[in-house]
Amino acid sequence: MNGRLVQRSLYAAGGAALFLALASAFLLAIGHSPFVTLATMAGYAFGDTYSISESLVKATPILLCALAVILPARLGLITVGGEGQLYLGALLGTAVVVNYPGAQMFALLPAMLVLGAAGGAIWSALAGVLRARFDVNETISTLLLNYIAVLLVNYAVYGAWKDPASLGWPATIQFPPAATVPSLMGTRVHCGFIVALIAAVVLHVAVTHTRWGLGLRVLSGNRKVGTMVGLRFARNTLIVMALGGALAGFAGICETSAIQGRLQSGLSVGYGLTGFLVAWLSGQNFLRAVPIAILIGGLISAGDALQLYSKIPSASATILQGMLFIAALAASGLSTRRETRRG
Amino acid sequence: MAHALVTMAGICKQFGAVVANADVDLEIRAGEVLALLGENGAGKSTLMKVLYGFYQADAGEIRIDGKPIAFASPREAMGSGIGMVFQHFSLVPALSVWENLLAAFPDAPWLQGRSSTRVQAALRWLRRLAPSLDSARPVRELAVGERQLVELAKVLNLNARIVILDEPTSVLTPAETERLYGFIRSLIAEGKAVVLITHKLADVVACADRIVVMRGGRVVDHAQARERTPEQLVNAMVGRERGSSIGAPAPVTAAAPVLQVRGVSATAHGAHIRNISFEIAAGEILGIAGVSGNGQYTLAEALAGLIPVTAGDIVLGGVSIASRFQDGAIPDDVAYVPERPLDNAVVADLDLGLNLALRKMRKLSLFPQRRAITARAEALIARFDVRPPRPALPAAALSGGNLQKLVIARELSDTHRLVIASYPTMGLDVLAAQAVYRTLFEQAASGACVVWISEELDDLLAYAHRIAAIYGGSFAGIVRREDASRQMIGRWMAGMDREAAA
Repeated sequence: MNGRLVQRSLYAAGGAALFLALASAFLLAIGHSPFVTLATMAGYAFGDTYSISESLVKATPILLCALAVILPARLGLITVGGEGQLYLGALLGTAVVVNYPGAQMFALLPAMLVLGAAGGAIWSALAGVLRARFDVNETISTLLLNYIAVLLVNYAVYGAWKDPASLGWPATIQFPPAATVPSLMGTRVHCGFIVALIAAVVLHVAVTHTRWGLGLRVLSGNRKVGTMVGLRFARNTLIVMALGGALAGFAGICETSAIQGRLQSGLSVGYGLTGFLVAWLSGQNFLRAVPIAILIGGLISAGDALQLYSKIPSASATILQGMLFIAALAASGLSTRRETRRG
Repeated sequence: MAHALVTMAGICKQFGAVVANADVDLEIRAGEVLALLGENGAGKSTLMKVLYGFYQADAGEIRIDGKPIAFASPREAMGSGIGMVFQHFSLVPALSVWENLLAAFPDAPWLQGRSSTRVQAALRWLRRLAPSLDSARPVRELAVGERQLVELAKVLNLNARIVILDEPTSVLTPAETERLYGFIRSLIAEGKAVVLITHKLADVVACADRIVVMRGGRVVDHAQARERTPEQLVNAMVGRERGSSIGAPAPVTAAAPVLQVRGVSATAHGAHIRNISFEIAAGEILGIAGVSGNGQYTLAEALAGLIPVTAGDIVLGGVSIASRFQDGAIPDDVAYVPERPLDNAVVADLDLGLNLALRKMRKLSLFPQRRAITARAEALIARFDVRPPRPALPAAALSGGNLQKLVIARELSDTHRLVIASYPTMGLDVLAAQAVYRTLFEQAASGACVVWISEELDDLLAYAHRIAAIYGGSFAGIVRREDASRQMIGRWMAGMDREAAA
């Protein structure tokens, strides 16, 4: 047991070394000192309270989208629909605000959040129904639903919901304070982050310690046997897809309300896909996804800062992020292979 | 006089603490069919895999044409003209028959059209084996018997002089079996040597020249086929162990049927059963004999309530199972030991404790207590002798026989109204099999109706109250044990005869 832990730490260290080597090569190639740049990035990501809060702001939708991938994965389903669910959550949540902008906070805020979560849940459950009833591959259907959701949001913000005061800019009206998710301690970090943390812990307990979680393991391991002992694959598919979608939809409406203040096209910068990668890096583990999402959030926010202050294009951060994923996946792949070989 | 192609002397092979072969001598002669006879686990397959280079012997010597050899791999053995057809085939299901044959053809270039002379050469043996088989069909569409012929053609394409067949008739219909026997004789006439690994006396009677009987890893008898009667061979195969018989099941006292199957038809995975009817009283064991693949699986799944019936009804204790069919869930008062437990009964990556708790899934508390599950598992594992006895092990780590015991432990540790057991002793040695039969007796004694599907005709004749034979998806006949004979049931199983209309 201890030996295995040492083994895993060695592979993690190897992965980190691989990432540093790749990143250094890349930064040298674009003419920057690797050491200085990486140190600067670390500072921008987690150096002070403001940096940390910006990193958590980016980490929030990523973590929620990762949870939306991990839950279906526990039933053996592979969804890539975080992005679409996030957009549809933003769309339905915004519908409340656009129609009742003057409502009281105690009614408007919960209604907006609930509808946002419902939007993501519906979008995801659509793929769930297709899978459960007609055996349509959920990976393909969630991927395609992403495009529809993004275009639906565009349709709304370019059309009926466009704020006349925004001089042609495709965006809705500014959300009133009554429809703004409260932030934490004066930073831009909002309550959605706390919800994501709670969701990660609750889901972890639910899938590892409850009868329901055991049922998911049985169904994903041998669907025929699960069905024989009375478990319902169709019902569980709908539950995990809808719950996961609700989290991604919640991420969408929070991002719209708390960070951007209005619904506009280009709402997400690939949070759904990044969440998918975080889910895989975590080994489909809810708790492990939390630090990974925060790390990736830090990398993204440091990339923004780099562009502002160091004249390094922010795309570099995306490239570094890709290198980090490759290094981490290579390390974890090698370590699993080593373990299975030993039997 | 046939000369010795292969001599094996003093072969020993151990797996951990298990002795698979102990000091085995064997001679394989050209122009002769050698039947290697023995029960499951007698060491027949291991011995042949040692010859084939699949395993390396711990001790002993192998000579081919008088020269000592030591094969490190099957590839080297093939090079010396040894070919083996395993029970599990190595064909690519998505490729056509000719593509499969070509892929294994010696010196096949990387690219060629299907009309080339090489393709014709690769198909040469298959044309003799199965003239009517369309070589353009993908292998996944072929029946098991046809696949076996393709596999055999593949081995013969490699210019095998010594052909080893591992339980070839276990997957064949009677007609296919007859054709295989004929083909084996024609190979012999060409001077090849054939080794037939089998536990069926019918194979020996039909086409063996010489017999070697193995038991517990040793050769216990060696003779010309005509020198032995079937009774002598059975005694040699099973030794004295079966002498300590577990007796017959307690007589049935209840008269009223508890399970009524009325004109049931159903389909599962392309296999049909048609218009099957029978009744079982409480405490009665009905044995169902038949060559596997004649609808046993469909019948078992329908009785367990896992698939809907397309016609007829199944009534258990006055309640229709068929009408309360719900999405393939098994009723609580039915125990089911299915065939192929790894696919049909366990979750491979879940541990033994949870696998044993599966039938009580819905009754677990919201937060299941691992300690209670493990304690219950330990008791069951000890009682049913599952090895290794570690509840935390994943089910995938168990051998076939122990997996079988695990499923039996889960399904037959409580009392039920109906017990369905498909090949419950598959992969078990004689003593473990007797323990299973005792468990079936206990179930019957506690008032269950027992449906016991098996290929072991002798066991059925000894331990079932009544025996039915299934052929082509329907019952060929059903008879009380006292009135049954091997010949009668054998003819029913082979589809040569049906029960005279009563």
